[in-house]
Amino acid sequence: MKALLAPLSLIVVALLLRSTALSALATRGVLLDVLAFATLVWAMARGEAGGANFGFALGLLADLDAAHWLGRHALVLALLGYAIGRLSHTLVRDSVRTQLVLLFLATLIHETWALSFELGSVGSWPWQALRVLLAAVATAPVGALALAIARWGSGQPLFGHAESQPGPSL
Amino acid sequence: MGGFLPPAERRSSALVGLYAALSLLLLVAGERLPQAPLRGIGAFVFAPLDRLVLAADRASTAWRENQRLHERLAELEMENARLRDEGVENQRLREELTLPPRHGVELKPVEVLALAGEPVPSAATLGAGRSQGVREGDVVVTREGLVGRIGESYPTLARVILLTDVNSAVACEVESVGVQGILHYVTSPYPRLTLTGVPLGDTVRVGQLVLTSGLSIRFPRSLPVGRVARLGVDPSGLSQDIEIAPAARLSRLRHAFVIPGPDSLRGRP
Repeated sequence: MKALLAPLSLIVVALLLRSTALSALATRGVLLDVLAFATLVWAMARGEAGGANFGFALGLLADLDAAHWLGRHALVLALLGYAIGRLSHTLVRDSVRTQLVLLFLATLIHETWALSFELGSVGSWPWQALRVLLAAVATAPVGALALAIARWGSGQPLFGHAESQPGPSL
Repeated sequence: MGGFLPPAERRSSALVGLYAALSLLLLVAGERLPQAPLRGIGAFVFAPLDRLVLAADRASTAWRENQRLHERLAELEMENARLRDEGVENQRLREELTLPPRHGVELKPVEVLALAGEPVPSAATLGAGRSQGVREGDVVVTREGLVGRIGESYPTLARVILLTDVNSAVACEVESVGVQGILHYVTSPYPRLTLTGVPLGDTVRVGQLVLTSGLSIRFPRSLPVGRVARLGVDPSGLSQDIEIAPAARLSRLRHAFVIPGPDSLRGRP
């Protein structure tokens, strides 16, 4: 039960932010992808299984909040959670550059997939592509800043360093 | 491939494969599942939290709104006095012309708890439901204009289908010239509200007010919907492509009013 409390809290906070403050920002053109951010944070902390579980649960709840296409966010967030979880074994997870790059890529993938369901004529593609790019450009620094503030607040690394496997003894 | 991976990684690979398969299944068959009860539970669970989050935002803007509303109240009181005089005169004239009397609309104030949909919200959750007399098919407005209609109603909450839902359609007319059309939300080439079905020969100008039409069976006549923002020609070349700027600020809904829908449609989304 206690183990469920942390991911459930993060899911609730992410969905609340998405439906309130970030929804108002999105209409002004500032799209912050809190779903990708939350999945990335959880996957970096808990690895691929945790990331996939979290991404799927968060995505499914986000899908239920929308009116159409159940499974749209669940699929891409589960895959992103898994992929980031796998990568986190080999990366310096507390590096700001790593976080920036991962957030940029995660947002880019998530938004591209989510938007592909709303694609209209070819004429609308440049506008949609610009929207995806802006979302990735906005989410990466804001997310990295949020993680930096959390790290500064906690006074210790959030994720620790990549696991070091001992080499074969000669 | 599974044989090359350690057991823990094999398990997580299987898990993500299961999730991917489940998501794809939902994408294909999800529309057939009854999602409304699930959304109802979700709305019920999130309603207190939404209220909590919105409380901070609302407290900071409440005093500004209060000041503005005081000014507006004074203006409206003066305008109301003038309109009462004109109303009496209008009633007398309608009687002389044997025209049927006009009826007012009943407004139920409600709180907007959350918005859903990006980049433009397509649905909203209201803090009132069937217990407060809010039913499917009821009309939702703000003081600026039409917002949408109730799509799903739960005991203490309701979900509004906004004008910006792709499945929404409203019969409208352009004020004073009476040009008729259907208001739709389209995402191509960029998200916007458009008035469709207006012949090329009809004269419409940028800035004109668009109202709900008497042809609409869902919405009362003459509710402000928006203003003409841009004019163009439909790709078919047969009708005009008229972009409408919504009257209500759909991205910043905090309070709204519910107008009971027509009796024949109440309880139907």
